[in-house]
Amino acid sequence: MNSLRVFFVGGVMSYRALFNWINPWVFVPHTLGYPIFEILFFAYLGRFAGVQSDKFFLIGNAFMAIAMTGFFGMGNAIGGERRSQTLATLLASPANRFALFLGRAVPSVLTGLVVSATAFSVCRVILGVHFHPSELGGLVVAALVASFACTSFGLCLGALGLRGRSVSLFADMIGGSMLLLSGANVPFDRLPGAVQALGRLLPLTHGIAAGRELGAGASLGAVSGLLGTEALVGCVYFGIGVVMLRVLEFEGRRSATLETF
Amino acid sequence: MIRAFVSGMRIHVVQFSRNPFDLSGVFLWPILYASIAYYLLDAKNDPRLLLAASLGAAVMLMWSLVVIGSSNALENQRWLGTLELLVAAPVPFAVVIAPICVASGFVGGYGIAATLAWGRLIYHVPLSIDHPVAFAVALPACILAIGMLGLVMASTFVLYRAAFSLGIALQYPVWIATGLLVPLSTLPAFVRWIGWFLGPYWGFRAIRESALGSAPWPDIGMCIAVSAAYFVVGTLCLRVFVRVARARGSLKLT
Repeated sequence: MNSLRVFFVGGVMSYRALFNWINPWVFVPHTLGYPIFEILFFAYLGRFAGVQSDKFFLIGNAFMAIAMTGFFGMGNAIGGERRSQTLATLLASPANRFALFLGRAVPSVLTGLVVSATAFSVCRVILGVHFHPSELGGLVVAALVASFACTSFGLCLGALGLRGRSVSLFADMIGGSMLLLSGANVPFDRLPGAVQALGRLLPLTHGIAAGRELGAGASLGAVSGLLGTEALVGCVYFGIGVVMLRVLEFEGRRSATLETF
Repeated sequence: MIRAFVSGMRIHVVQFSRNPFDLSGVFLWPILYASIAYYLLDAKNDPRLLLAASLGAAVMLMWSLVVIGSSNALENQRWLGTLELLVAAPVPFAVVIAPICVASGFVGGYGIAATLAWGRLIYHVPLSIDHPVAFAVALPACILAIGMLGLVMASTFVLYRAAFSLGIALQYPVWIATGLLVPLSTLPAFVRWIGWFLGPYWGFRAIRESALGSAPWPDIGMCIAVSAAYFVVGTLCLRVFVRVARARGSLKLT
């Protein structure tokens, strides 16, 4: 019960604190502007290269928006505490670590889903891409599974924040690499074999593939293998992330690095 | 003022180059965007197109470093409590901020070396620079033009305490409007006109034209002209925005 309280109250307070730092009138256009322009950038690059359709880039980059908030939500949950010098105090409390940090990350992840859906809708109109309502329903399911996998991966990145101080930069670099490795912007078969193998071990890759098939009219049953693999990848990273949280907190205490930034 | 500018440049170039982890991003990002362009364009028979893509990816990084680096540097000054001291210094504030912006662009120059080396080693893109002298002049002219546009942006960062977010949000719009990877001919007509007012557009043209053998000198001249214009506008904006920030007492807010 106490963990649930930490999860909900901590999460709500953390999200409210965000708007103490940044005005919503600035936050909203900034948060929406980045994914919208990212989708447009790659869609126009694809048009110039004569590779794939606008739909390919629209789906790939809308999923990227989900991934980024999953990575950053967890990464910043811990990195933000370090920056505001409250990490040591927080870790001195007996609260459940998982509830503590997940509570801070979930509002960001939900925001990411809303942002991704809005960017998707805006760019769909700008680029003139059409979807059948049933295709959109399938895309929502794929997006939720991809969001879980990316947040689990973000848990691993966030745990690194207990030991290191440049986690946001690291998450940014990993997120950037996903533009290529996940096949969000390059047809997977054009990538070298080693890059494809690496991409398959990462979250999002199977989610994007499923999303593209659903966007092309496939049924949920037809992509269940891809969605199952994406969920499995998420579960594996979730397990690794929980272990990392425990080990790296101990390491951070032992090496007295919790307050460095 | 020249001494303040030069020592500011030196300090910020050293500071930006100090952390190997931070620096790894300088090499990763342009390589990443160039790789996406290589795989998408698949232009094995048109190595000049790939070279142009490499240069475009490197200029993209330059702009990102200027706009994010300068906003981050200002935010750090706020957090460290030194922004007020810098504003109160007898040296004009523009001379304090300009080196941060130009130094960010300078560090972005590492990205050009990294992208060209990556393209050569992995994708066998020939490194033939048609006008080496013009290229040597175009590179600092491009850094200056992008850095001075950063100065105009930095003036708003003084007023706005969530500067870092604004810096991040401004990356893609400028990449699109200046045709760094996506040719402007593929974009709606009104976007083409926006690029004319942006330093990265002229900087990229200057570098590309000097590397790929057309007429680089007019574009280099435009780099210098827009840099001068940005400096005037940036200085005026800084003066006004610093006064507003002082009146509101918001310089110290983190």
